[in-house]
Amino acid sequence: MLKKVLIEIENSKNGLNLNELSHKLNLDRSALNGMIEFWVQKGRLVDDDAEEAISCSSSCGSSCSSDDGLGCSFVMEMPKTYSLRKSDKTL
Amino acid sequence: MSHEHKHAYTQREGFTIDYGREAEHEIVKIQEEIAKYAYIEKEYPSRWLAIKLLEEDSDIKMRLQVLEGGKGILAIAEKSIAHLEKIYDDDVDVIIADHRYGWINGLVKETVKRTYQDRLTGSDKVDRIVTHRLLGIPIFLLAMWSVFKLTADVSAPYLDWVDATIGGPITNWIVAIIRVLGLGSTWVESLFVNGIIAGVGGVMVFVPVMMFLYLSLALLEDSGYMARAAFVMDRLMHVLGLHGKSFLPMLVGFGCTVPALYATRTLENEKDRILTGLLVPFMSCGARLPVYVLFAAIFFPENAGAVIFGLYFLGILTAIILGITLKNTLFKDKEDSTFVMELPPYRLPTLRGIWFHIWERTGSFVRKAWTIIMVTSIILWFLMAIPVRGGGSFAQADIKDSAFATVSKAISPALAPLGFDSWETTSALLTGFVAKEVVVSTMGQVYAINNTPDAIEEETEATTFFEDVGEILTTFMAATGDTIKSIPLIVGINLFEEEAEEEPTALMQAVRDGFEESSHGHSALAAMAFMVFVLIYTPCVAAVAAEKQELGMKWTWVSIIGQLVLAWLMAFVVFQGGILLGLG
Repeated sequence: MLKKVLIEIENSKNGLNLNELSHKLNLDRSALNGMIEFWVQKGRLVDDDAEEAISCSSSCGSSCSSDDGLGCSFVMEMPKTYSLRKSDKTL
Repeated sequence: MSHEHKHAYTQREGFTIDYGREAEHEIVKIQEEIAKYAYIEKEYPSRWLAIKLLEEDSDIKMRLQVLEGGKGILAIAEKSIAHLEKIYDDDVDVIIADHRYGWINGLVKETVKRTYQDRLTGSDKVDRIVTHRLLGIPIFLLAMWSVFKLTADVSAPYLDWVDATIGGPITNWIVAIIRVLGLGSTWVESLFVNGIIAGVGGVMVFVPVMMFLYLSLALLEDSGYMARAAFVMDRLMHVLGLHGKSFLPMLVGFGCTVPALYATRTLENEKDRILTGLLVPFMSCGARLPVYVLFAAIFFPENAGAVIFGLYFLGILTAIILGITLKNTLFKDKEDSTFVMELPPYRLPTLRGIWFHIWERTGSFVRKAWTIIMVTSIILWFLMAIPVRGGGSFAQADIKDSAFATVSKAISPALAPLGFDSWETTSALLTGFVAKEVVVSTMGQVYAINNTPDAIEEETEATTFFEDVGEILTTFMAATGDTIKSIPLIVGINLFEEEAEEEPTALMQAVRDGFEESSHGHSALAAMAFMVFVLIYTPCVAAVAAEKQELGMKWTWVSIIGQLVLAWLMAFVVFQGGILLGLG
């Protein structure tokens, strides 16, 4: 079951979301979340921390940062994504 | 052996998981070794300990190492791990976890009876339509269209109110204070009226527009729809051969290009990262909106929302077409990227959350007006106050003879084929490199033909401070009423039909006349070409700095020059193509 999750992600050609994946594998979302977390801990999936990537750096300060230092107020809430680590593509 | 054998190959008893023949065989081997040391077996259940050792639990390994016989058990476990890894070609903890999840899944299936329909949540049901392969894109476009219809049509009464308030009472108060200080009719008065008020005030007028834009985006964001939009577009990008994850930074680009460029860091592949970084600036950021609103109100008042929506759509289309072209040429890469996206459940946006977004983002816009735009306006005023021809003195000469006008005039012939080669338009595009809001503030300054203090005094009747405050409050109430009446405009119902058309402001009239002259009678086409140029060319200096940091110097130059060339070409096609087709 755990490996099926990784295989489905690897074979997804036209975009995949966790809701679709849970229906496809007939899994509860909570169970799927646990499996995704397992693969992230194993390093086979990478948690693309977009929030971290776009947290405003000083170079952005002149354009869009908020004064309170909480980050860029123009940044919209990004959906979380998990990528397959390239070197581990083949199971 | 102290345990009863339930299966031939295992020592499992009671309610335990079957990890498969090979793994169970190795578990038994380790258990047999553990059984030699009664005090270890007394401390830890042997099966549990064997499994933990196969999973390479570092804490258990450390504890066992210091016990008598522990090293022997660890050696057996290591052999078992090596043996199992050879058989399964994977880590043993993966094999164990896989069986564990499989067992749990089987147990749930046997004990919990739920149909497919039962498992569908409300979010799932909505997602079946919103993220549908065929319906998803039209729904996304409809959502975008509604955003710009709301932004352009419903915000108009408040825009007029702010314009009248800044141009009337606020300007009068500032002029009065300057004159009380004995600085009337000096360059200080000109700096405030033609520099700061015309520049900063010209941008502040658009605060209501920005508030309505941020309101619409916050509704989409907080409801959870924006994540679906990213998923739908992401799937389209994937189908077109682009990196699916590219659309996430592009989505951020609708707010501000700078964080969008930083968001490209989520792409692992360097080629994909650079390509996305080159495409992100084509997403129309919020700073360009005042330009579109001003020009749409002047030249396309009946279809302002549709025109603005069209420009945002053109930005996405340009990025996709350019992306496909570059992906198949300079950035050819056969490696596929695979990832899975987590969609948050739909939520009912809260008033507090929506207000927080509006307040934060509008606050940033206003702060920018009082920093970058004010500094640019003051520098620009100085450049327009220094005469280089005509023999006038500082701040007294005609601005057409100023240093800034002279530089702009030298560049303007390059824009003649695009229909907007007046020095005023050229100067607005030049300062637009600093930030896109500055395009409007510069127009406010260079077209401020009747904005001299004397002219203001002539135009307005003498009023007291309290009369002005009363007028501001009365017109605010009227603007609120008109805004409520404007809401049905989103669905095409116009409640204003019976009322007389409003007179254009001096700036609007001056821009219209300027474009009419430079385009030789094709002002609407020239205006459209101008908006396309603003959409495509370099967003701002902060974006250039971010590009340099993320893409390197070489690609930053490619980006700047490429955007300028593409902006010129697209504006040329719009203007000349429009004339050829007999449009405008």
